Amino acid sequence: MTNIPVEMAPGATPPHAPQNWRTYFSFSTDHKVIGIQYLVTSFVFFMVGGFFAMIIRGELITPEADLVDRTVYNAMFTMHGTVMLFLWMFPSLVGLANYLVPLMIGARDMAFPRLNAVAFWMVPVVGILLMASFLVPGGPSQSGWWAYPPVSLQNPTGKLLNGQFLWLLAVAISGVSSIMGAVNFVTTIVKMRAPGMTWFRMPAYVWTVLSAQIIQLYGLPALTAGAVMLLMDLTFGTSFFDPAKGGQPVLFQHFFWFYSHPAVYVIILPIFGVFSEIFPVFARKPLFGYKVVAVSSIIITVLSGMVWVHHMFASGTPGWMRMIFMFTTMAIAVPTGIKVFAWVATLWRGKLRLTTPMVFALGALVMFVFSGVTGIMLAAVPVDIHVNNTYFVVGHFHYVVFGAATMGMFAAIYHWFPKMTGRMYNEGLGQVHFWLAFIGANLNFFPMHPLGLMGMPRRVASYDPEFIFWNVAASLGAFLLGMSTLPFIVNLVGSWLQGKKAPDNPWRAIGLEWLVSSPPPVENFEEIPVVIAEPYGYGRNEPLIANGKALELEAAEG
Amino acid sequence: MNVRTILTLVVTAVILAAISLWMGQQSYGWFPPQAASEAQLVDDLFSFLVILGTFIFLGVTIAILYSVVFSRAGKYDMSDGPPIEGNTTLEVVWTAIPLALVIWIAVYSYQIYDRMNVKGPMELVHLHNPMQMATAYAAPLDAETEPLEAIEVHSRQWAWEFHYPGQNVSSTELHLPVDRRVHLTLESEDVLHGFYIPAFRLKQDIIPGEAIDFEFTPIRVGTYRLRDSQYSGTYFAAMQADVVVQSPEDYQQWLATTAKQPPTEAYNRAVTEFAKNRGKVKSVFTGWKSVPPAPPPVVNYSTQS
Amino acid sequence: MDTQLNTSPVQEASHHAVAHEHDAEGNSMFGFIVFLLSESVIFLGFFGGYIIYKLTSTNWLPEGVSGLETREPLINTIVLVSSSFVIYVAERFLHDKKLWGFRLFLITTMAMGIYFLLGQAKEWSELPFGFTSGVFGGTFYLLTGFHGLHVMTGILLMTIMLLRSFIPHNYDNGEFGIKATSLFWHFVDVIWIILFLLLYVWQ
Repeated sequence: MTNIPVEMAPGATPPHAPQNWRTYFSFSTDHKVIGIQYLVTSFVFFMVGGFFAMIIRGELITPEADLVDRTVYNAMFTMHGTVMLFLWMFPSLVGLANYLVPLMIGARDMAFPRLNAVAFWMVPVVGILLMASFLVPGGPSQSGWWAYPPVSLQNPTGKLLNGQFLWLLAVAISGVSSIMGAVNFVTTIVKMRAPGMTWFRMPAYVWTVLSAQIIQLYGLPALTAGAVMLLMDLTFGTSFFDPAKGGQPVLFQHFFWFYSHPAVYVIILPIFGVFSEIFPVFARKPLFGYKVVAVSSIIITVLSGMVWVHHMFASGTPGWMRMIFMFTTMAIAVPTGIKVFAWVATLWRGKLRLTTPMVFALGALVMFVFSGVTGIMLAAVPVDIHVNNTYFVVGHFHYVVFGAATMGMFAAIYHWFPKMTGRMYNEGLGQVHFWLAFIGANLNFFPMHPLGLMGMPRRVASYDPEFIFWNVAASLGAFLLGMSTLPFIVNLVGSWLQGKKAPDNPWRAIGLEWLVSSPPPVENFEEIPVVIAEPYGYGRNEPLIANGKALELEAAEG
Repeated sequence: MNVRTILTLVVTAVILAAISLWMGQQSYGWFPPQAASEAQLVDDLFSFLVILGTFIFLGVTIAILYSVVFSRAGKYDMSDGPPIEGNTTLEVVWTAIPLALVIWIAVYSYQIYDRMNVKGPMELVHLHNPMQMATAYAAPLDAETEPLEAIEVHSRQWAWEFHYPGQNVSSTELHLPVDRRVHLTLESEDVLHGFYIPAFRLKQDIIPGEAIDFEFTPIRVGTYRLRDSQYSGTYFAAMQADVVVQSPEDYQQWLATTAKQPPTEAYNRAVTEFAKNRGKVKSVFTGWKSVPPAPPPVVNYSTQS
Repeated sequence: MDTQLNTSPVQEASHHAVAHEHDAEGNSMFGFIVFLLSESVIFLGFFGGYIIYKLTSTNWLPEGVSGLETREPLINTIVLVSSSFVIYVAERFLHDKKLWGFRLFLITTMAMGIYFLLGQAKEWSELPFGFTSGVFGGTFYLLTGFHGLHVMTGILLMTIMLLRSFIPHNYDNGEFGIKATSLFWHFVDVIWIILFLLLYVWQ
């Protein structure tokens, strides 16, 4: 069974997944192929960014800057952040959404399939540009992923083709790719839902993708504007942000954060959507308060555009501005909290199965709540004045981007792996991956909180001896975390090649994507489904769609 | 909801509250010593947030763990759980309570910030750029807490230099008298820097081209660290200095003695390291070309770190 | 939960499905509008920057510069804004399947756009300050340059539309191309009006 190539699998109906691996390296307009292309590409860069992290933690295990030169260390944290955000988080989330959204709304593909493919192929270009920056004079950008001027304008080699220039170019192309994707997702979700799928019959995941992509549309252009101006300063000597020429460096911060704050909601919203999909399946209960959860995504979209100055509380912003943004920043905890309580209520009195997707989602949720608590602390201006630019902030956001977002992404990958590849992953290895990652992440990122409170600044290649203990703990956690990737890779590669064949609906889940084969046919649905029920109908004896295959959904009635 | 459930919930809540209050007490120990009057306010606010945060985090986590332990599906049980889709009362409660909490936290934080205004830097931070100006100085001060003359803080890549214009003293170590409000003028000669003294819980980014006023009151004799907090380039991590808070007599003594020292070149870590790197082939293995450090400060008083 | 299976809503819904699958033009227009809304945020960002710089810079105008000439830019503005009406007329001709009328008015629009660009270039060449002349120079050329790029793009789109109008059966699937080009041109005009007010009127 395991030796039979996919093409000759018995009972294979008209075209399933691409017949060979070459399709995944080509310009395909099939959203399922593009989704997998995004996911695999972004995971490769996840490992690149992770490698940079290992160097960072290797340097920080001792107080002196004795592992690499300071310029190399500065390039490491700059590129670690840049790669992890622009080449891991955003592309992987878009890849997952690309794969799932058309299936979940009962469409054959995205609204603009060719635009979709073009947007994907820009990602390797961004990656190549950033990697190439290691080879130019002066090395890659060393001004941090936020590239504040005047440091980002200093250009010690004086060359036109320098790392900062390549960085700005890469970020600009990434922005173009993201905006193309955003236009595509918004159009698809608004216009191409299956008949009968009203707004409140749409899976929560699709709500979160819509919310996130709307943020991309209003936020990214601000970053583009700021990046263009910085590029002009760097390359042509204009004076937008150069104080020596009458420019205003703080204005860059406003441009930058006007996008980059909402950007973090672009990252976490689809993860919220993943939680909303996974918990009902493995608790066999409907998503509690689905309508409110759905609407809270849009509320977050709106509020997230009004909080950006909280990154600048120590930057000489006037007092009234600090207070306004403190209030808005705290307010955003309310729609977020609603979601957390809804998930807990979904689990409550359910019938839980601790599969790999479930444990990752649970672990991610717990880490998210912790980061929410530290987030409120950061929102309080007097506290932020002390911990801004320290490791406290680094700890907070790594609990979000690794603890919640990356682990949530792993949950999603395991959950939909059978659907995407037609194979089951290995459950034992999945559990090993979870525990290594969970323990590693907590050991790596928790110590950053006391370090910040004690006053250790971030982005430092060397530190005072009083910080040794927690840094050693954090570095050990990081190495453990690095190793946790191994069972993941072994599991997915091995299972994709030789795993047990997956049925249409291995989790007995309710949703349009689970009605079709694993992997789905090229056109997704032989006949477009007609939706007649709300999602998450666990415990009820009601069909999801009117036409065909209604039986498969009544499976779990007790 | 029966009596047993209510009782269990109340007991759990009480236990969680006790743990949270304990954590709130512990949180004071997570900071450096409180060396400025502002530090006390910040630590109190943080403790309050720790109490609330602990309660919420433990409450949610315990609810999740409870489900994980006690609500597992039987091995061969293929049926679904109860089809509970919502509960309006519960949803209203868990929207209203967080909203109320958030408003409470925001108001309390505002009050703390306001009090720090009166005592310290926040309201008194004003930039000479009119659009960014904060509101005016607080009410007139009485003679006892009248701020000292300005101490100038000069920051550059990668050194701190302090200048006492009254006595014409310069130093790479910041000396301050205890229990007196001090007035600093923060300047940068090149890029953004951050004036951060963890023991005071105070931080202010320094913007090149602006002179930023900053005031606070040290309350504890001792030696503390000043660190650059806003990433400023290659030797950013090495840009640190000591802050020495002394009794007024010791402080005056130091000023008088130092004024008599001839200015000498101070040790500067960035300059020393940079010199060692010169001439090396530039690559990812040995490092790339860096912005050269500014020449070391020439001051009356410096130390070897 | 209503689970009636009577055929009427299902049939209606299936019919709707077919309509959806074939409403490619509707989807494209929606997507294009979404794109334009996003694009306008870049301009809003630049406008915001300009306003802040103008209000807060200590040395706003470069040495020896007292302001901007407004007469020729005003003429250019009139030409550009009028061209929006011209392209609208072109669209109406196309809608009525009068291809030669369409082409004539499209070419006229392009000519007006080119006139605008040439006027802009002439203005640039005569200005006593450059891109690097302080914050004013930077924002002036950035704003007008970025806008100019959009005008050029609009003219390019119109060229493509013009050439395609010679392909037989080009409009069998609707007129999305020209509708989008026309909308883009209106967008470019509105941006210019705001720009003109900011740069030339508010001095």
